[in-house]
Amino acid sequence: MENDAVIQIRNLTKIYRDFWGRKKVLALNSLSLDVNKGEIFGLLGPNGSGKTTTMKLLLGLLFPTDGKISILGKEASNVEKNERIGYLPEESYLYRFLNAEETLDFYGQLFDMPASQRREQTDRLIKSVGLDFARRRQLKEYSKGMTRRIGLAQALINDPELVLLDEPTSGLDPLGTRDMKDMILKLRDEGKTVVMCSHLLADVQDVCDRIAILYEGELKQLGRVDELLKEQDVTQLLTSRLDDAVVRDIEEVLKKHNAQLKSIDHPTNSLEDLFLKTVKESVERPGRRFLPDEAAQPDASEGNGQSPSESASQTPAESGEQTSQAESEKPDEAQPAS
Amino acid sequence: MDFDPEPYELLPAVLHYIAAVGSLLFVVALVAVIWSLASRGRSGPAALIEGIKKGCRDFAQISPRRVWALSMLTIREALRRKALMVFVVFAVLFMFAGWFLQQATDRPDLQVEVYVSFVLKAITWLVLPVVMILACWGLPEDIRARSLHTVVTKPVRRSEIVLGRIIGFISVSTLILLIMGGVGYVWILRQVPDPSYLVSRVPIYGKLRYTNRLGDERNAIGLEYDYSINVGDIWEFRNYIEGGTKSRALWYFEGMDADDFDDKLIIETGFESFRTHKGDMDRGLLARLNIMNAETGLQVPLQPFTVEEYTQNLHEIPRKLQYFDEDTQDFREVDLFEDLVYDGTLKIAVECLDANQYIGMARPDLFIRLPDRSFFAGYSKAILGIWLMLSIIVVIAVSASCFVKGPVAVLLTFSFLILGQPFRSFMEKMVTGEQEGGGPLEAWYRLIHHLNTTSELPASLLTNAMKFIDQILLNFLWVMQNLIPNFEHFRMSPYVANGFDVPWSAAMLPSLVVTIAYLLPCVLIGYFSLAMRELESK
Ligand SMILES: Nc1ncnc2c1ncn2[C@@H]1O[C@H](COP(=O)(O)OP(=O)(O)O)[C@@H](O)[C@H]1O
Ligand SMILES: [Mg+2]
Repeated sequence: MENDAVIQIRNLTKIYRDFWGRKKVLALNSLSLDVNKGEIFGLLGPNGSGKTTTMKLLLGLLFPTDGKISILGKEASNVEKNERIGYLPEESYLYRFLNAEETLDFYGQLFDMPASQRREQTDRLIKSVGLDFARRRQLKEYSKGMTRRIGLAQALINDPELVLLDEPTSGLDPLGTRDMKDMILKLRDEGKTVVMCSHLLADVQDVCDRIAILYEGELKQLGRVDELLKEQDVTQLLTSRLDDAVVRDIEEVLKKHNAQLKSIDHPTNSLEDLFLKTVKESVERPGRRFLPDEAAQPDASEGNGQSPSESASQTPAESGEQTSQAESEKPDEAQPAS
Repeated sequence: MDFDPEPYELLPAVLHYIAAVGSLLFVVALVAVIWSLASRGRSGPAALIEGIKKGCRDFAQISPRRVWALSMLTIREALRRKALMVFVVFAVLFMFAGWFLQQATDRPDLQVEVYVSFVLKAITWLVLPVVMILACWGLPEDIRARSLHTVVTKPVRRSEIVLGRIIGFISVSTLILLIMGGVGYVWILRQVPDPSYLVSRVPIYGKLRYTNRLGDERNAIGLEYDYSINVGDIWEFRNYIEGGTKSRALWYFEGMDADDFDDKLIIETGFESFRTHKGDMDRGLLARLNIMNAETGLQVPLQPFTVEEYTQNLHEIPRKLQYFDEDTQDFREVDLFEDLVYDGTLKIAVECLDANQYIGMARPDLFIRLPDRSFFAGYSKAILGIWLMLSIIVVIAVSASCFVKGPVAVLLTFSFLILGQPFRSFMEKMVTGEQEGGGPLEAWYRLIHHLNTTSELPASLLTNAMKFIDQILLNFLWVMQNLIPNFEHFRMSPYVANGFDVPWSAAMLPSLVVTIAYLLPCVLIGYFSLAMRELESK
């Protein structure tokens, strides 16, 4: 296992100090963990728990107060390691006066790529993150989600071995989130190692192989997602629809074996599943609208030209889309209770 | 051939520079070793050496493509952020200024001077603040917006960031300067009433000596002084020779060779007259040039001429000279170079022919005028001078912005500018002790006790302590004076405005050397400050 480690962190401590050298924040306290080659590693934790700080320390943007970091076999302050790393910052800190093409070309140049290779990569990446329609627009005109996408594209410009993603899904709509997750999984399939941090539990659960949970700068949990989540003393049955007689029979059987029945229920889909299904149907059957029973809205006859996702998000609140929209716009409010 | 006003000595300058930078490096190294020992104990020096090694690697591995990318980024940023608004201001200023400048004077040469120096000053003072603020704000803004985070997580060396910024901002200033220079040139051509005054004269200056009124009979070398009569105005820099006596002003032009004398030599004079009596008011004072052989004493008088003030007096000396030889009472022909130049030295004696009248002159009042260059050539050189000054400002500003925020960087750069120009001569006088009244503390003491600057200070413990502290302050000033560039070197507009070409050795070379000299230490300072800090805005 040790040889497989792409990142080794030992007793990493970071104290932010003010201008006079006085201690302000203990952002990270004696953190130790390894990230192995080819896995998707998730750093999970509420806001301010030190996830971003960890990333910046890994990249040498910050200097550790104490402890050691080895990343791709090099020190964090070594510049050459950056040749093999892609980094998506927390917010896409890009130059807003450049357009998408210029942005990718610029970062390509920083990897000393020749012009032809840059053109190829730029074109491929812009298409793969779905920004082909806006490639000549300056980034200051981009929406937050679009900025995230171009941010991901710039992180992948050098075809890196190790990808560090800081809150990759923040600011993305559910579709974009799904795309982002798919892309992260694809990166793993290509043999890359991915480290991502997030406070959105669902994202982490869906894609990560292993996670670490940070709280106030300290490591609280570390392990494989499936193992951490598996409840060893609960068994779940999933069957086709059963009528009440069968359920009663099953209860009998359980009683005979001295087992306790906790609940019998119809499973609910996640909101994400519902949303994605709705959008998919809208694409297949354009023009269909959801109307509340009581009264059709006055503008119901208009809007045939609207794009599927827009019409989906216009459906009334009780179907839940607006809540999910708000959630993805303001990630900070979606933090787990701590 | 090199007869510039004050030729610049390159070798001593370079040696001085090496000594200064070397001792600075030594001090820095010493401080760094002590600091590393204090902060890390025994392993400190090793870490320090590691840091220096890393620095060397970062400079050795500089990739031109990355530097290019970063400079292009800087240029794009400046252009897209509308830095060029300054053009509008410039144009407006020009439109208004034209009204006021027109009636300034009716002497064509002064008009040229007014227009040319106006344009060059306007360009300098419009571009300088813009470029300075751009360069000071670039990096700090990049750090504040954290866009630099994305850049430094690519395999970019910090040295490349510093260089990229410097090259980028210099390119921006080049662009602005080219456009403004072009507009200014066209404006001058259109405004100046008599374009024949737009020339770049190429002068060769000689050395000036005087003889007094008793000067030796035929061989006037006898008694030579480097001063002559002062006519009573203590600010006057010219010395006067008395008419009708043996008082002469003697110019020596050394290092001449035959190539300089095609078929004629043109001498330009600009003397001042001082009359002790009215004399003939309808004409100027009479003067005469004599060409002399310094060895044989052969003296060839030229035609007398009247001294016209405020215009150029041109004298054409043909290669073959005819003159009336008093000894043989006959006409003789001599060759200007073969017969009159001795050991490469041409000697010209000026005499005043009106008795009891005086003619005043200083070193630049008589010079050999080589074929003129175009006004454009001189103007371009003045623009180049502005460019060099902008470049050095960019270099200082960028390296300052590596360790302080934008406003502080502006302040720092601006104080360099102030200390490097108007304050400089004052500072020099303080340091050399030429300025009376002593150092700052002593000056305060004198102010409070109503002592004038020349009276002795009473000897006491207090005054001695004061003098001691003053000495430390003066030493600090001495260091500052050696650290801060002399921006006087970059001022070439006086040459152009007065119709001269910008001399290479006296003006172009020093400014070029100063710029290059600042580049290296500044890049180093910028690099190490960037490399040693966390790029987190505080
Ligand atoms: N530049 C900084 N200066 C001072 N404190 C900081 C700085 N950056 C982050 N912190 C503090 O460090 C802690 C961890 O922050 P961060 O790593 O950004 O958290 P996360 O990314 O998990 O939300 C927080 O308490 C935050 O306030
Ligand atoms: Mg964060």
